[in-house]
Amino acid sequence: MKTRLLLVPALLLGLTAPARAAELTLSVSAGVFLPQQPFYRQIYGSSIPLSFEAGWEFKGGFGLSAGLTALRDDGRAVAVSGEGEEYPLRFERLTVPLMIHFSPKVKGFTLRLAAGLAGHFYRERWRTVDLGFEGRTIGPRLGLAVGFPVLGRLSLFGSLIYEPLSAKSAPPPEEKVELGGVLVLGGVILRVL
Amino acid sequence: MLFLSLPQDRPVGLIKILKDEGPVWTVLQRLQVDVRQELETCFLALAGGEEQLGLLWAGADFTVIERNARSKEFFLVPLDAPEALGSLRDRGRAEAVEPGTAVFWTEDGSSAGALPPDLPRKPLPVRTVLPYLGTPVIVPGTSSVPFSWDPLIGQISGRASESGLRSLVQSLQDFQTRYASTPNCEAAGDFIHDTFSSLGLDEVRFEPFTFSGGYKSRNVIAEKTGKVYPRDILIICGHYDSTSPAATRQTLAPGADDNASGTAAVIEAARALSPFPLDFTVRFIAFSAEEWGLYGSRDYADKARATGESILGVINLDMIAYADALPEELEVIVNAPSEWLAERLAAAATLYADLEARKRIDASIVYSDHAPFWDRGYHALLAIEDHPLQNPYYHKTTDTIDKLHFGFFLASARASLALLAELAQPVREGHPRTPAGLTAKPIVYRSLFQTAKSARLSWSAQGDAVGYNIYRTSLSHVDYLKLNPTLITATTYTDGLLRTDLPYFYAVTAVGFSGLESNRSKEASVAPESPALTVPAQWPGSIQILRVR
Repeated sequence: MKTRLLLVPALLLGLTAPARAAELTLSVSAGVFLPQQPFYRQIYGSSIPLSFEAGWEFKGGFGLSAGLTALRDDGRAVAVSGEGEEYPLRFERLTVPLMIHFSPKVKGFTLRLAAGLAGHFYRERWRTVDLGFEGRTIGPRLGLAVGFPVLGRLSLFGSLIYEPLSAKSAPPPEEKVELGGVLVLGGVILRVL
Repeated sequence: MLFLSLPQDRPVGLIKILKDEGPVWTVLQRLQVDVRQELETCFLALAGGEEQLGLLWAGADFTVIERNARSKEFFLVPLDAPEALGSLRDRGRAEAVEPGTAVFWTEDGSSAGALPPDLPRKPLPVRTVLPYLGTPVIVPGTSSVPFSWDPLIGQISGRASESGLRSLVQSLQDFQTRYASTPNCEAAGDFIHDTFSSLGLDEVRFEPFTFSGGYKSRNVIAEKTGKVYPRDILIICGHYDSTSPAATRQTLAPGADDNASGTAAVIEAARALSPFPLDFTVRFIAFSAEEWGLYGSRDYADKARATGESILGVINLDMIAYADALPEELEVIVNAPSEWLAERLAAAATLYADLEARKRIDASIVYSDHAPFWDRGYHALLAIEDHPLQNPYYHKTTDTIDKLHFGFFLASARASLALLAELAQPVREGHPRTPAGLTAKPIVYRSLFQTAKSARLSWSAQGDAVGYNIYRTSLSHVDYLKLNPTLITATTYTDGLLRTDLPYFYAVTAVGFSGLESNRSKEASVAPESPALTVPAQWPGSIQILRVR
């Protein structure tokens, strides 16, 4: 299933590759990640992600984008039965998105609707004891962004990204863990070509 | 007549449910199946159509043995030979439920009378054993620290003497028969009572019971009350009734090996331990009506569970004096939750009796007085000379004292006594008092991906202690690991982090000014946290620990 999901953007990339790139953009952004699962929020709260992305825009407003989103947060293990000791935790996630977007221009603003897949690499460590968990998975990613030019090739933008991301915990018992949520980002875009 | 107690308004069948790697335990608990017997490879249960449908739906592998179990008395009997099943079917109805074990019953409910009189048998319990079923927990192997020679235990076990055993067996044999229901059996009970009474124990009493349609007999119980843990009980027992072929059993059933030997060893253990104050309470019990179907021990175990007695372990001695070949080994039979008892007996036999004791885990060997304790969720072992039996005089009028091997008999008695003394813990002069009041409270921690736990221990302060040591194991009473590198001066300790899927058992000792260490406290435990393993209320008694080495 995961292999097939990976093939979809690769195929789309292949179809569009012969076309000449009309525009190449690079963007850097930061913001806040709002996790979907209450237990995630209980441990880590909201965190600050950093994102870098490159976009190729073709004719008709369609294009591809790929990049990296990094997220790191510290929390504390939850004592579910009684009051316990403090066990600090650290969660790190690196996401590699590959998305197709459509960017119509509306009254000087650029709107961007994007959909695609993202590969996620994550790990959680108990910082004072020898416990940890690593995993990777692929999930869908949807995005909505608004940008407006400020200076020459430079634009500011804001975006909302939704990425559901299910993982499985370490047995026993194996439970579903929802790592996904909403990213609210703001940053700058530089048009290179 | 003893009938299974069943609701009167619906048909109920006797079914066999195969064991698997784990889910069946959860299914049985979830459906509250009326399980009456756990065997090595299966459970026997009573189930109506609704329950059977539930089992089917849950994917349990079961077969119906008898469609209408109402008003029928079912017995488990051993199948020692291929033709045994056919022979049983000549007398009633019989089904093999696993290799070596059959269920026997008759349509008219007279099963007990239809069985061959000298055949061991165990009636199915009249109440469910579901609350006491062990749930399997895999415990990883640890490097077992061998037990070391303890001079005090050596001194106590050395007090068991050949002359004492010989005299007791002769006295019991002299009753001619001890077949339960005969006056001679009652006279033998009086003799045991009087002998116990002469030893200066704290209490000696009869516990009367009725069995098999109105017969009466008595268990004889002597007690040495513990100084630190008076409510926590260790039992050493053997049945004093005997049997022989139907034509003679009312008048001649000497039962020297079966089971004057076990009874004598119990009495000798009482004599040997009587001068020594102990941490834990010890009960010395001579059961009756074992040969009829374990009725005396069943009566005791049922009452013990009903009144919430804390029985830490049961050592059942049954036929421990015949040697078919030398050197004879002692067979130690346990179910999985009682494995620790077998390990401890094997160690004690080597250390204190120069005897090899061979552990065998087999929940299907249920034809002696340990089995009713298993049914009620207590840990128990059977010590026996051979399984299958090799004694050619078994249940015959020729089972007499001259056939016994007193070297092997004495070694068996000393090994059992050494184990009992180790567990009961003689109070040691000059050492601090054994700590009491140990509790272990689990605290479970969760991260996104993992669950871990710690155990918060606390215990009562000992006035004569300068500090404490903490010991932990995942296999009760065996393989203790000392946790603290230096003495703990507080009366609390947190052990973490720990795996959530394992049980942990803790004991604490006190260390005095002179550096001498006390006996270990009673164990406190934290159960596995995994919801896949439904831990019954009787924890830790009902956790079935499977050790992987």
